Amino acid sequence: MTDFSEIKETLVNLDQQRLLQLVNDALAEGTPASDILNNGLIAGMDIVGEKMENGDMFIPEVLMAARAMGKGVEILKPLLGDEESATKGNVIIGTVKGDLHDIGKNLVAMMAESAGLTVHNLGVDIAPEEFVRQIKEKNANILCLSALLTTTMPMMKQTIDAVVESGLRDQVKIMVGGAPVTQAFADDIGADAFAPDAGSAAKSAKALVN
Amino acid sequence: MNLMGLQGGQYRPLSPEQVETVHKASLKILEQTGVTYEQGLEGTVQMLADSGANVDTERKNITFPRKMISQQVAKAPEKVILCGQDPKNDLNLTEDRVHLGTGGAAIKILDPETSEVRATTLKDLYDVSRLVDKLDNIHFLVRPCIPTDIDEKDYDINMFYTCLSASSKHVMSGVNDEKGLHNVIEMASMIAGGEDKLKERPFISVITSFAISPLKLCTQSTLIMQEANRNRIPVALSSAPMAGSTSPLTMAGTLAQLHAEQLAGITICQLTNPGAPLLYGGIPGMANLNTMGYLGGAVECGMMNAAIHQLAHHIKVPNYNSSGLSDSKVPDVQAGYEKAFTALLASMGGSNYIHHSAGMLESMLTIAHEQYVIDDEIIGNCCKVLKGIDCDAEHLALEVIDSVGAGGNFMTAAHTMTHMRTEYYSGNGVTDRKSRDKWEKEGSLDTRKRALAIAKKLLAAPESSYISEETDKAIREKFNILI
Repeated sequence: MTDFSEIKETLVNLDQQRLLQLVNDALAEGTPASDILNNGLIAGMDIVGEKMENGDMFIPEVLMAARAMGKGVEILKPLLGDEESATKGNVIIGTVKGDLHDIGKNLVAMMAESAGLTVHNLGVDIAPEEFVRQIKEKNANILCLSALLTTTMPMMKQTIDAVVESGLRDQVKIMVGGAPVTQAFADDIGADAFAPDAGSAAKSAKALVN
Repeated sequence: MNLMGLQGGQYRPLSPEQVETVHKASLKILEQTGVTYEQGLEGTVQMLADSGANVDTERKNITFPRKMISQQVAKAPEKVILCGQDPKNDLNLTEDRVHLGTGGAAIKILDPETSEVRATTLKDLYDVSRLVDKLDNIHFLVRPCIPTDIDEKDYDINMFYTCLSASSKHVMSGVNDEKGLHNVIEMASMIAGGEDKLKERPFISVITSFAISPLKLCTQSTLIMQEANRNRIPVALSSAPMAGSTSPLTMAGTLAQLHAEQLAGITICQLTNPGAPLLYGGIPGMANLNTMGYLGGAVECGMMNAAIHQLAHHIKVPNYNSSGLSDSKVPDVQAGYEKAFTALLASMGGSNYIHHSAGMLESMLTIAHEQYVIDDEIIGNCCKVLKGIDCDAEHLALEVIDSVGAGGNFMTAAHTMTHMRTEYYSGNGVTDRKSRDKWEKEGSLDTRKRALAIAKKLLAAPESSYISEETDKAIREKFNILI
């Protein structure tokens, strides 16, 4: 029986080398890859997310954890069945048109990926019609919009309006975030969720589709 | 007592050797790493290539030979005068002369009636501009908030109009695009009585955030910056990396990268129009490692902003920077000490144009009327420190010491009468120095309440515009003025 607590702890301690060793050991012991993924790596990242929200871990540490986890997933991926590796959340994320800021948005993308969601990161300065096109193409069920500038916040509403017009609104849950964005603003423009930071963004994204 | 433009430089966080070290490191960054750019800057990139920069169009990367940088930077004026509509508000930005004022593009205000947070409006911009006009220690007006109740296409002209009608202090703001810049120049020229007169006495200037740290040119803002250069409108070359996310975590690394960005920006300006007036616009900030948000009130922000003036001074260009911010959400004790620390450090550093130093809370997101009053007091105190201690014979007061003699007192000496209203900073009334009894009788008001009462009183004065009726009419015929 694999001791998942050690995998989780090693991930939280950012010891990538040891983590990969433990993943390989677990596989050698016959532990199913999906168990290692869910009970070890994803469970470990949940702890990281919590620590981040509490201010006990700095973002650069969270990024290192996400990176270590990614390496672990690389080992597991070939061993996971299609169904097991298919995630519930299929996320389109991008910064709205006119806004070139991407750090926060990339953090959310990374955290969402670590939380086991499939993430398509479109980048910055994305027009409403491009978001719509990508939702269709990737068959996404979550749309995450980011804006840092007070002057580009209205573009979030225009993007949501474009999704409504395209008839895809029922297919996707929409989450918004960025320094000036608030819950009240999210409610005003008809978003489904608002997240104040990357840790809670990943958590809410998962909750939206579960 | 006008405390504008006093000499700072008492606090120098970098030694002369360290200034030289950072400057050399920045040249190395431009030579080795270079800056990147995006689509739409082909003309600018060509101009740089023609002047000796090495351009790799495939990687979209530009590196700069040292000689090219030093030649171009040397063309930037050492002295920039930013005028107010009223000449008493002119700012002489040279050497270590210090000026402090408002800043930011806040989107929230603590409502002066309810104290609740709400979105800022064009009326808020007008009220705050009037308030700033009446607070003597705030030296200039950088558009403090975004009028979220009007259409974005009307921002540029309405923000400048509102500030210029409500205040005779120097007005600075960003603009959305080149068309916005042209409109603003046209309107300001109407107020000045002609474009030549505006250039002679530039009472407006433009913030251009040309750099997206690290080391990337923003197409839109670079084009606006160059257009302002061509029109000889002074520009502040804002670049604002956050240590730990968009610049190295360490202070020295952040300064080196920021100085490199500034050298590249100044080079672009001087190639565009040699001698174009500009302000070195390095704003070193810090990332909140818990959220990656912006930290404004950290004491290190004050230290780094003092250091940035040294780097600007090293290349003989006046500087614009940031201090006097707080990460607190309300005007409380934290807001007081963060603002006092950072504003004083940047002032003592000799910074020429310190924006963000009045009215802001929650870093740069929120403003409050009472905070402008409190910060006016903090700025007054900062300037008093710069003024120093006069030590001439009159101030040394040997005569009066002798005439009062041992065991007497100085309360009614003529010397006391002469100096009692000038020797000490008298304040705007917000600082409480009453006895507890009197303070309790007057309602036990804390700083915030006292400040709010002062703001209310100042704003209750009759309204009058600094723009003449005739010009105002012409402006309203030409532009969509919404206030």
